[in-house]
Amino acid sequence: MFKKRVTLKILLLLLVSDILETAIHFFFKKGALSQAEFSVVDLPSAVIFLRAVFSSPFLWAGLLTVAVVFVIWSTILSKIDLSVAVPIASFSYILVPVVSVIFLHEQISALRWAGILLILIGVILVSLSSKERITQNK
Amino acid sequence: MREGLLTILFMIALTSLCDTVNQLFLKSAIDSLSFSPKFNFIKIFKFIFQLLTKPRLWLSFIFSVISLCIWLLVLSKADLNFAFSADSMHYIFIALASRYILKEKFSYFRWLGTGLIVIGIVFVSLS
Repeated sequence: MFKKRVTLKILLLLLVSDILETAIHFFFKKGALSQAEFSVVDLPSAVIFLRAVFSSPFLWAGLLTVAVVFVIWSTILSKIDLSVAVPIASFSYILVPVVSVIFLHEQISALRWAGILLILIGVILVSLSSKERITQNK
Repeated sequence: MREGLLTILFMIALTSLCDTVNQLFLKSAIDSLSFSPKFNFIKIFKFIFQLLTKPRLWLSFIFSVISLCIWLLVLSKADLNFAFSADSMHYIFIALASRYILKEKFSYFRWLGTGLIVIGIVFVSLS
């Protein structure tokens, strides 16, 4: 049977996968931004838009990172519940604003930081919930 | 905002839903292997290779590609922070799907933690 406990190694893998995930979204945003003046109104124009996006090097860097994340994410899911892995991975919400501020020069308000704090507490609770189950099983 | 807010929210809901289906197929393919690799490159690649033979995995890929295409359209129209914020419904979909489809056991801590994350993300989207 699987071990369901979140160990330090799994947390580390989740962190790496999150950092890479943030990189993916950054690459994709860059890839899509280069087509920002393009307007998508119907299906044919959506196809042309996606074709233009797929010719961007940022998108390909993103897709390569997707393959790496797939390997790491599958390894994580073989060890813990989906309902634990996905919420813990939400700490990309802490990484994404930081990256947005540094590279895309977007603004972050106090309320947004409060939300980030709530997410952090939630992540800790969900991580603890998988340990709790092990002690219940003993 | 260049497009209607509702249109973008609908597209984000759609991409979240596709990603939830993707995760369900992936998790169920992994569970059907009924083993977990040690933290070692050769073991992990053997594990991935076996995983690639599962049809359910390819179903999960299809949904992840659909989800990615919609997501790219969303990103071309919305602010990165806003798009991520509205994507919080993803956590509700994942929690419900894990509980009722994969039959994972939920403690109060897990519901509470997931709830706080969703509220946190809504806060982030209001700002």
